[in-house]
Amino acid sequence: MSTNRQYELIYITPPESTEEALAELHTQVATVVEKFGGTIEKTENWGRRRLAYEIGKHREGVYVLEVINGPGALTAELDRRLRVFDIVIRHMCVRVDDELAVAERSLARRKGAQAKRRVRRGLPPEPTETERKRREDDDDDSDGGMERGFGERGDR
Amino acid sequence: MSEDRDSRGGGGRSGGGKGAGAGAAGKDGARRGFFRRRRVCKFCVEKIDYINYKDVKLIASFIPERGKIQPRRISGVCALHQRALQTAIKRARQIALVPYVTE
Repeated sequence: MSTNRQYELIYITPPESTEEALAELHTQVATVVEKFGGTIEKTENWGRRRLAYEIGKHREGVYVLEVINGPGALTAELDRRLRVFDIVIRHMCVRVDDELAVAERSLARRKGAQAKRRVRRGLPPEPTETERKRREDDDDDSDGGMERGFGERGDR
Repeated sequence: MSEDRDSRGGGGRSGGGKGAGAGAAGKDGARRGFFRRRRVCKFCVEKIDYINYKDVKLIASFIPERGKIQPRRISGVCALHQRALQTAIKRARQIALVPYVTE
């Protein structure tokens, strides 16, 4: 069935919004999803976060992530509804199933290739625990410079 | 003054440039405090298949101070992953995880 897709919905509410308001919002989303015959796979509340830029007068916001399975028509309705709420200062809904499938495929392909290589060399297909540990020690070539966040890099 | 710089440039590393691998980059990495170039794709090396837009830590390393997306001639990311990274950054910008611009 082609209509079963996975979406990730993220919305931001002001930091001063209450628990009840968030719960209310969640039920609103849930009813829309149900109406279209979808399901909410999981809900994650990231809590208060600093926004990277000001949205309206807000500098901080409460992020909520919902992973939704359902048909595509659902996103249009969600979008329309969420735009009406004053409490939602920003929202975004993206389809993720195809990207995750691609990632999974390439992971599987790599695993398969690795197993083949190892078998050819006369090793068991899966790396053993000790081998993996040794590899991790060798791999520590991080130069630090790339891992820092923005604003901290003074030498540019 | 400019002459001085020219002579230095022409001397030691005329054959260096792009063809030299990561090993050579490490050797003269300290020269004049330049940002050491990493000629390998981080996502290929670390085998990251899916560049998640929610992973701010990962994405932020490809966003210089100004907030623009780092070109791949600087970061060394391969074309495939640069495209994926681009979408991830644009999504992250939309929900204010990373900035569009910073003054």
